[in-house]
Amino acid sequence: MKVTPLSLFNFLFLIIPTLLFSQQEKNITIFEKEIKTKSNLFISEIDFHKAQSFFLKKNWDSTLVYSMKQLSKPIKKKKLNNYCHFFRGFSFKQKKIYKEAKKEFAFITKDFEFYSRVRMMLGEISLEQKKFQKAISFFKDIEHLKNPKLFDIKISNVEHNIGISYLHLKKFDDAEYYLLKSAKTQEKSKDTLMLVGAYGDIATLYYEQYKDELAIPYFKKAYDLSKNIKDFGLKYNAAHNMAVVEENRKDYKLSIVYRKEFEKWKDSLNDQNKIWEVAELEKEFAVKQKQKEVNILEAENKLKVAERNKLLYSAIGLLILLATGGYFYREKIKSNKIIIAQKITLDELNATKDKLFSIVSHDLRSSVNALKTSNTKLQESLETKNFTELDTLLNNNSAITNGAYNLLDNLLNWALLQTEQGYFEITSMRLFIIVEHVAYNYKPLLLDKNISFENTVTKKDQVNVDQESLKIILRNLIDNAIKFSNENGMIKIYSRNTNEKYCAFVIEDTGIGMSENTRLELLKDTALLSKKENEDIIGTGLGMQLVKQMIQKNKGKFNIESELGKGTKMIVSLPKTVS
Amino acid sequence: MDNISVLIIEDTKAESDALVKVLEANNYNIVGIATSYKDALNLFYNNKIDIVVIDIFLNGNPDGITFAETINVVPGAAKPFVFLTSSTDRKIFERAKLTQPFSFLMKPFNELEILYAIEMAVEKFYAQNDVFLSDEEDTVISKEYLFIKKGKSLKKVLLKEIVFIEVEEKYCNIITEREKFVILISLTKILDLLDNDIFSRTHRNFIVNTEKIVEIVPSDNLILLSGGHKATLSDTYKTIIKKVRTLK
Repeated sequence: MKVTPLSLFNFLFLIIPTLLFSQQEKNITIFEKEIKTKSNLFISEIDFHKAQSFFLKKNWDSTLVYSMKQLSKPIKKKKLNNYCHFFRGFSFKQKKIYKEAKKEFAFITKDFEFYSRVRMMLGEISLEQKKFQKAISFFKDIEHLKNPKLFDIKISNVEHNIGISYLHLKKFDDAEYYLLKSAKTQEKSKDTLMLVGAYGDIATLYYEQYKDELAIPYFKKAYDLSKNIKDFGLKYNAAHNMAVVEENRKDYKLSIVYRKEFEKWKDSLNDQNKIWEVAELEKEFAVKQKQKEVNILEAENKLKVAERNKLLYSAIGLLILLATGGYFYREKIKSNKIIIAQKITLDELNATKDKLFSIVSHDLRSSVNALKTSNTKLQESLETKNFTELDTLLNNNSAITNGAYNLLDNLLNWALLQTEQGYFEITSMRLFIIVEHVAYNYKPLLLDKNISFENTVTKKDQVNVDQESLKIILRNLIDNAIKFSNENGMIKIYSRNTNEKYCAFVIEDTGIGMSENTRLELLKDTALLSKKENEDIIGTGLGMQLVKQMIQKNKGKFNIESELGKGTKMIVSLPKTVS
Repeated sequence: MDNISVLIIEDTKAESDALVKVLEANNYNIVGIATSYKDALNLFYNNKIDIVVIDIFLNGNPDGITFAETINVVPGAAKPFVFLTSSTDRKIFERAKLTQPFSFLMKPFNELEILYAIEMAVEKFYAQNDVFLSDEEDTVISKEYLFIKKGKSLKKVLLKEIVFIEVEEKYCNIITEREKFVILISLTKILDLLDNDIFSRTHRNFIVNTEKIVEIVPSDNLILLSGGHKATLSDTYKTIIKKVRTLK
């Protein structure tokens, strides 16, 4: 008989953790919901919020840390503190640090919403610490709880715990009462797992009182029920108890059967442990494997990202390249257009220049050639002393040199105008006197053609002009007037003051005049030489060109009035000198 | 009236010959023809010169400009001058322009142009622009001479030789010991330009050379001048008596 109580005690203690375990699994939601909604009042406290969420996640260590943080703050709210202590006590209890749990629970005031749960836990702790009397008082407080689900409490468990406490205190009657009551409730809820424990406990209760007849059926019941459950521990206990019972009844045969079964469950239990270990290892391995896979995937991902980035960058690079390429292409087209336009202008200018050179060289050559032949004639005339012939020849020579000189002079001035290297200074000039000076050179020519000339420019007329420019303009215009005048014609130069800012003078001849087309052609603002119309008298056109450009350079204006067969008026306007 | 003395600086014989011909034909007195910078300075300092005609390029160098620069820096020595050139090179012109007052003439030139250029040079040098070309005036006054335009050319009259000037509207009768002639100049201008120590106004219409005064007869309002000339003295200008050193 000595062996029996020991084995029975073992049995009792195994049952409580199981109960606790099942409690947590089943009714967790309502209780958790309650906790959550009721503690949400204090959600603004970050630490409390964390503690709460860790509590709900059953992460006890973190719950302890954050609830401690919250408690160490100076904010003192009774409710808030109650929750904190509750979380801490709960956590400590789960970690089986009962002393600390008790301390924490002691801080909680009795008006705390979940105080019933606190009582339950205090009871359980007392039970664990074998303070059965205390445990009974805690449990009895909540024995008649109205809404146990709210606190995640099962009344049957409470009754069961009271029963066990009485059993330990050897108050068998009370124990019997409570255990049976508990078993009845559990039978109703058909909680097999619980029932095995409950029947085992009831059996132990009777067995302790040596009421074997009453005990054995319960043992048997527990054993039978244990066959239907998977928990090896309970099966093992039930079989072990049966073996002890049969042994005590001296039915060794049966006892051996039970013992064998018990051994089997023991092995199974061990096996299960081993299997668990293996499973654990496998799990670890699997986790490692998974980790490896994850790592590989990560690496692959990295590679993919790198590749994608590479693609992206190269795409951007290509795009930029394309854009710059496009830009430069457009620029090139633009500059090409400009170059083509410039080329056309250059070609035109070049053609002009070529034409100019051909005309100039032709004219010069013929002039000099004429001089050469004239000189030979001169010598002959001198030898024969034919003085009348000599005189005409000399006059002829003089005319030729004059023409050639004018051509050369214009050519030179034109070149200077192009290179802008000539001296140019606008000063105030008396128009009359400059006309006189220039006309002086043409006196022989005028006389030769019997053309009358008069300069009636107002003596007071003063213009702002570069002296040499004005002379070039006058020289060419007078030269033209003479060239296009018939014998016995008339050339007049006179002022025509109609403008406040400009001083205009007219060079009028009674010559052949020009058509409207020629007139417009001459007035065109172009660098090109005008076409030759009349091979006999019209020259290079260089003179008119020079006149126009000189007038332009001196900020003057130029106009022509002409009538075919009647004569031409060349009108030059130059800025007046303001005195 | 005397002819104007001209110094020609020109290294090309044909051109200086043509120039001499034109100038002499117009009653200018050619003092000399220099063909180099050194010659030019010699002739310039050893003769009484009124005007210098300078060819910019002497033997290929712009020594003409150097000459002008040289005479310009000597105070009192400078005389009116005209540059002659066949070059329109801008750099040369920029340098020549610094020898103020600057007048130039482009080659080739005709008679009218050279005479005009000389007149311009005189006007510019004595800072009395627009005299010879205008119808209102014909005389430029320097410290020593009157430069008077006569026909196409210029003449000069030594101021010291003037006995008195009689103003008649726009005209001034200039009476020297030898001759008498009319110039076109305003009274205000002539008063302004003549030396006040020598020439004094004695009447609304009379300006007298105080050095030529023989006798002043205040009672008759008369001033007797050398050469038997007479000028009127009005009450307004009787202070002249104090200025005259002695009475003979």
